[in-house]
Amino acid sequence: MLKREVAKRVFAKEFEAARNLEAPGRGVAPEPLPGGALRAEDRMGEKDSKTPNFLLSPLGLLINRVFVVGVLTEIDNVGEQNDMWKARVVDPTGAFTVYAGQFQPEASIFFSTVEVPAFVALSGKARVFEPEAGSVFVSVRAEEVNVVDEELRNRWVVDTAEQTVERLEAFSKALSSGFSGFELSEYLVKTGVPAELAEGISLALEQEGGRHHGEFLRQLGGALKEGLRALNLDSKDAEGAEADIKEFALELMREMGKGKGVDYGIFLKEAAFRGVPEETVEEAVRSLLAEGQCYEPRIGVIRPVS
Amino acid sequence: MNEKIAPHLEELTRALGDIEATGIRAEFEKLLAFRVPPDVAKQSLLRKFGGAQQSLKKELKVKDLAPNLKNFEINGRILELSEKALRPTEGTVEGRPSTLYTGVLADETGSVPFSSWQELPCQVGEVINVKNAHTRVWKNRVRLSIKERSLVSKVPEGAGTPASLPSLEELSKSPVKKLRDISSLDLSVSAAASVLQLSHRDVVVKGRQATVISGVLADETARLPFTSWAKLPGVDIGSIIRFDTAAVRMFRGVPSVEFLAGTRVSVIDGPEAGELAFSFESVKKDPVPLKMREVEARDGLFDVVTSGNVVSVRPGSGVISRCPECGRAVQKGSCRMHGKVEGVRDMRIKAVLDDGTGTVPVMFNRELSELIYGKTLEEAEALMYSDISKDAVFEDLRRILTGRVLSVRGNASRTEYGVSFVAESVRAPEDDLAVRAVELLHRLDSMEENRVRSRAVSPVAGEVDDA
Repeated sequence: MLKREVAKRVFAKEFEAARNLEAPGRGVAPEPLPGGALRAEDRMGEKDSKTPNFLLSPLGLLINRVFVVGVLTEIDNVGEQNDMWKARVVDPTGAFTVYAGQFQPEASIFFSTVEVPAFVALSGKARVFEPEAGSVFVSVRAEEVNVVDEELRNRWVVDTAEQTVERLEAFSKALSSGFSGFELSEYLVKTGVPAELAEGISLALEQEGGRHHGEFLRQLGGALKEGLRALNLDSKDAEGAEADIKEFALELMREMGKGKGVDYGIFLKEAAFRGVPEETVEEAVRSLLAEGQCYEPRIGVIRPVS
Repeated sequence: MNEKIAPHLEELTRALGDIEATGIRAEFEKLLAFRVPPDVAKQSLLRKFGGAQQSLKKELKVKDLAPNLKNFEINGRILELSEKALRPTEGTVEGRPSTLYTGVLADETGSVPFSSWQELPCQVGEVINVKNAHTRVWKNRVRLSIKERSLVSKVPEGAGTPASLPSLEELSKSPVKKLRDISSLDLSVSAAASVLQLSHRDVVVKGRQATVISGVLADETARLPFTSWAKLPGVDIGSIIRFDTAAVRMFRGVPSVEFLAGTRVSVIDGPEAGELAFSFESVKKDPVPLKMREVEARDGLFDVVTSGNVVSVRPGSGVISRCPECGRAVQKGSCRMHGKVEGVRDMRIKAVLDDGTGTVPVMFNRELSELIYGKTLEEAEALMYSDISKDAVFEDLRRILTGRVLSVRGNASRTEYGVSFVAESVRAPEDDLAVRAVELLHRLDSMEENRVRSRAVSPVAGEVDDA
């Protein structure tokens, strides 16, 4: 029996930038079993088809399975016989593209009945599709999906931010260490970085040669900060006024939309008419969008979540 | 032998060494006598004796030993050795050895009990090399098994002995350990710990009444169950004790310490207790939550806390029926040990919890299942009978549990399928998200500052960064 792969916590921005690991299985085997040399693959003499596929993120995260909690904003029926569901799940940094087909019956049934938008939790396998050089699609093949509440989504954002910050810190340490390859991963393990991440970081640096990383680190760090602030976890006492405005904006959206989307321009005018300045409402809507409480089904149209 | 099989024999010799001495040749001929084609016979012997993996040099240390390993090589010093004559029983194969040699083998990574069907060419304190060794499980722990086909040789002291192998005196000392470091690799240990729980129980052993004391010990690193067959005067809940040369037993994959006649137990108090890294008050608190990576890395853990999201509710969760005799789950109206039985209704949940660093299957008993499911066994049964789908309860469980965060407290143990966790209690995590978010924002800010500073100091690094 094979060991179950860990469901990694990763934001859409980092996930989308992940690519197939060049040498599958290279050093990515989970912790050796007691009696190391006797794992199943070795008994076969070589890696068989059951060896899991891994993606490698720019920050060195090895991804096979992921666990995501976000806002389900779209579902489409695709595929030649319309037998495949394609969905988008939004987090504070971007969106995951999620597929479920005939071999994911549980997830397919879920998508066939769920109402968008909704907070969902999903676990699935990471896949890369590269139809031609230069165009790469990274997606999740859903295994299990469920409707959840906002509290769980907030917890996922904090959990994922925590693990992403750990990676960012380890990665910065790697960049400033001056080591590379095996030496680097040894150095990282010595400084307390988990072995798998240490290996992933040295592989990521090998593949990219350290270029582009500065920019990516900055962008991801920025997106994380925005996402964490947008959670407004202490809004109940400290920022009562802002919470009230957001509550007002959401109410107005529901009232005007009657279950559908609202034209943003008309929405702003109506708010101003009711005595709330345009900038204040705009700010509230931006933060509602970041929190996932409302979304834009089309450009210029906003719609509240549930 | 005819020419057809000569090449096969040659190949076997190349892969497995001296096939005459180890009896592999005889086994090969036996297969041929059963009209097994020579190349198939060769393949199966290579598999059996590990020829296919000769390229991997399988020399294991004691700490690497897991249940049911085959054909590996190991070096170690003999710590104990005794022989036991076996009474020939009916049906014994003629010529089967009638003496079993048992003892303890140790290297720098731990010690392991062994049993051997052949007389060992050495004595206590000497170093042996065993090729073609096996392991099996006996009394809940791994045991090294030296079979008729194993090659045992004495390694002369000095030149032949691995430099890392400690002396007999060092190996037979009962090491002083923290509770966290006590594992199945220890046969005996010494430690200081606080008594968290203690109870007396009267049992009948070999027709005689005896009192056994059992309870839980703790230090700053872990908690462990203990039992004592000797009276412990002056020891009660809250005492801090030091014990020397206690035996280590494995129970359901979790280590426990056992105080035997030879164990010295003394109470520590006064200034000496003040010097310890823990006190009764400090160890009494709830255990600090572990990451799942840490749970997965260990063989067995007693009374720990960990939390994660439910990524999957496993089939077999929900309302089940148990055999009244043995408690096994009844399938198709039959118990696999007791045949057709009138099952007893029960509820359980098997859920895979995952925190992004590790993944651990967790078992919940009826009481805890009812708690996290929010329905009682009776309500679940009602749902089961009201719905034509036989999976109604399972589907309902998945809908309610998938994604949720659970913080569980209980014991973890390693089985042949990896680590699994049996929950003793469960709750929703109580950490404050707002506090964690603020802390993360600080970490992100200070990382940014470092980046800016390093660019100011070293323009070259900055260029690489921006390129």
